[in-house]
Amino acid sequence: MSSIHVQKITKKFGSQIAVNDVSFDVDGGEIFGLLGPNGAGKTTAIRIILDIFKPDSGSVSILDGPMNEEKKNHIGYLPEERGLYQDIQLERCLVYLATLKGLDTATAQARINVFLERFELEPWRKKKVKELSKGMQQKAQLITTLVHRPEIIVIDEPFSALDPVNTQMVKDLLREQRESGKTIIMCTHQMHQVEELCDRLVLIDKGQTMLYGTLQDVRHQFAKPAVSVSTPDSLPESLPGVDSISSENGDYTLHLLPGMLPQEVLQSLIKTNIQIDKFEISMPTLDEIFIEVVKKQEAVQ
Amino acid sequence: MKKFWLVFAQEYRRHVLRKRFIFALLSMPIFVGLIALVGFLSVRLQYNGAPVGFVDSYNILSNPQPVPTSGSSLLPAANFVKYPDESTAHNDLEANKIQAYFTLSKNYLSSGEVILVKSKTAGSNIEDDFGSFLSYNLLAGKPEAIVHRLTAGSNLIIRSADGTRELAANNWMAIAMPFIAGILFIIAVNISGGYLLQAVVEEKENRTMEIVITSVSPSQLMAGKVFADLLVGLTELVVWILFALLALRFVPQWVAVGQSTQIDLGSILLMAGTFIPAFVMVAAAMGAVGATATEAREAQQIAGLFTLPIVIPFWFVTPIMFDPNGPIALGLSMFPLTAPIALPLRAVFTTVPAWQIAVTISILILLAAFTVWLAGRVFRIGMLRYGKKVSFREAFRPQTSQRSHS
Repeated sequence: MSSIHVQKITKKFGSQIAVNDVSFDVDGGEIFGLLGPNGAGKTTAIRIILDIFKPDSGSVSILDGPMNEEKKNHIGYLPEERGLYQDIQLERCLVYLATLKGLDTATAQARINVFLERFELEPWRKKKVKELSKGMQQKAQLITTLVHRPEIIVIDEPFSALDPVNTQMVKDLLREQRESGKTIIMCTHQMHQVEELCDRLVLIDKGQTMLYGTLQDVRHQFAKPAVSVSTPDSLPESLPGVDSISSENGDYTLHLLPGMLPQEVLQSLIKTNIQIDKFEISMPTLDEIFIEVVKKQEAVQ
Repeated sequence: MKKFWLVFAQEYRRHVLRKRFIFALLSMPIFVGLIALVGFLSVRLQYNGAPVGFVDSYNILSNPQPVPTSGSSLLPAANFVKYPDESTAHNDLEANKIQAYFTLSKNYLSSGEVILVKSKTAGSNIEDDFGSFLSYNLLAGKPEAIVHRLTAGSNLIIRSADGTRELAANNWMAIAMPFIAGILFIIAVNISGGYLLQAVVEEKENRTMEIVITSVSPSQLMAGKVFADLLVGLTELVVWILFALLALRFVPQWVAVGQSTQIDLGSILLMAGTFIPAFVMVAAAMGAVGATATEAREAQQIAGLFTLPIVIPFWFVTPIMFDPNGPIALGLSMFPLTAPIALPLRAVFTTVPAWQIAVTISILILLAAFTVWLAGRVFRIGMLRYGKKVSFREAFRPQTSQRSHS
């Protein structure tokens, strides 16, 4: 069942169309990737979902209906531009923002203590927010996003400013949230993070939906007729049904002729008696798909 | 409603615990104290308490006695010493035993002629002191009540022709009150309204707004901020009033003035009735400006436009005093932005019809509610817009809001 149902939303700012007829569903208990280049309309779409902006047309249903004040308590939001009160103590800032999400002060305080411990921010609790490093502020912002145990988590570039150790910690945290049935929308430019974490995704560019589906479907959609082969031996100059062979870091990519099946190529390889360590259908990376889609869109424009 | 209180408490604490608020809070009494101190010092420098002689060769004053004083005074009246003739007095003046001497002429009672001879260091207080000394001794032997009345003067009470309003001429506090309260109101609006404006601009600049607005509705957020701001302003006023009362308590000669002052409850209610909605109106407008402006400096420039009209009645004090029912006084006391100062001021000099007070305060309250509502809308449109202002047309345009159900 969909936690979020976005239907044909359009939003203009003056003559600029930020989001144009975008639709997608986010299912409960999944991590959903909202992807797109800079200025694609991702943040506007998120702000419409969160009822910060009203769409010019179209609609959003969240947790079975339109957004209301009560539902705001069940949503955690980590905006792209981090926002915390800089002039007050970290603990006071976190407790205030947690109480705005419907927690009483004692509960907020108890949960924040646990998070501060986990995020290694305990020694900084009495420091002013502005005294914290960017990475620490990022972690503090994550506490604000998760402390009220929201059903829906909307996170925009969650890994920016984090070192590899903290990146791994946040990834584990997001997986934990998914396992506990939370719905997560993640906006990011880091495609390998999407490949690692997301179940489904939508790619928007210039306000329009370019791709939408499971990660597997999208990659199949863009898969070229090619196979990837890893062998310590040398490949023959030519193979039946293979148009060309390219190699990178000891791996070979065999580009197939139209109509040729990978199984037939595998049989040909076995016949050559070479040692095959790896044979797989060559799938494009999300990075490659992203660049291809965006360039195609630019060419159309 | 709970979130309104959370915003309210957070906003109040945030402003009140800031160093610059405490500085602003203390700077006013310190400033007033310094002015009073400079005033006192300038009087003190011209004061000389050394004895003063007088020559009364014609015995106009029989058995002269010093003027009795009640309590202690920082600047007591000079002591007067009688001399038999001018040459003796002059010798003592040159010997610095006295600072000056007065000589009553033969026909003093008919002409009032008195000659004063003084040293270079003679104080400016001796003429008044001698005047009091003369009056007291000339009236010696008259019943005490008559002496007191003649020296204290009349207690003039000015009553309006319809008999519904009266004001004692020496009750200067009743006249000064709307002026003082008006000035304090303008200062409080500027200071705390400025805080609100700055807080909103800061929240917009550091992007906290985006977090807060996904937790609380714009109208609750705005109302919480405006009312917290109102309380910040009231905190300032209360602290300043406490300082003033403290000053009156410790300056003995002012105590009498303080005790004789009578301010009727009606004036205070009238001021509260106009100040509070006007404050809410200006604060909400400032909050909206903060939400739409792209930077703090620009916001402050625009905010000046809201506080400027409040000051206008001070430019028209003369027509309000001398023609309190004239068109200028009437217009200023009913126009919402000028009413907070003009209406209480006008009420000192005339009986303002109840319907005019009711209409003015009602308009102010309605306008305050409307401004909070409008500010909420402008705030919603402008809060996350960077580099582009919100136009009036946009503020009144209905917001698209299509709801659907899954």
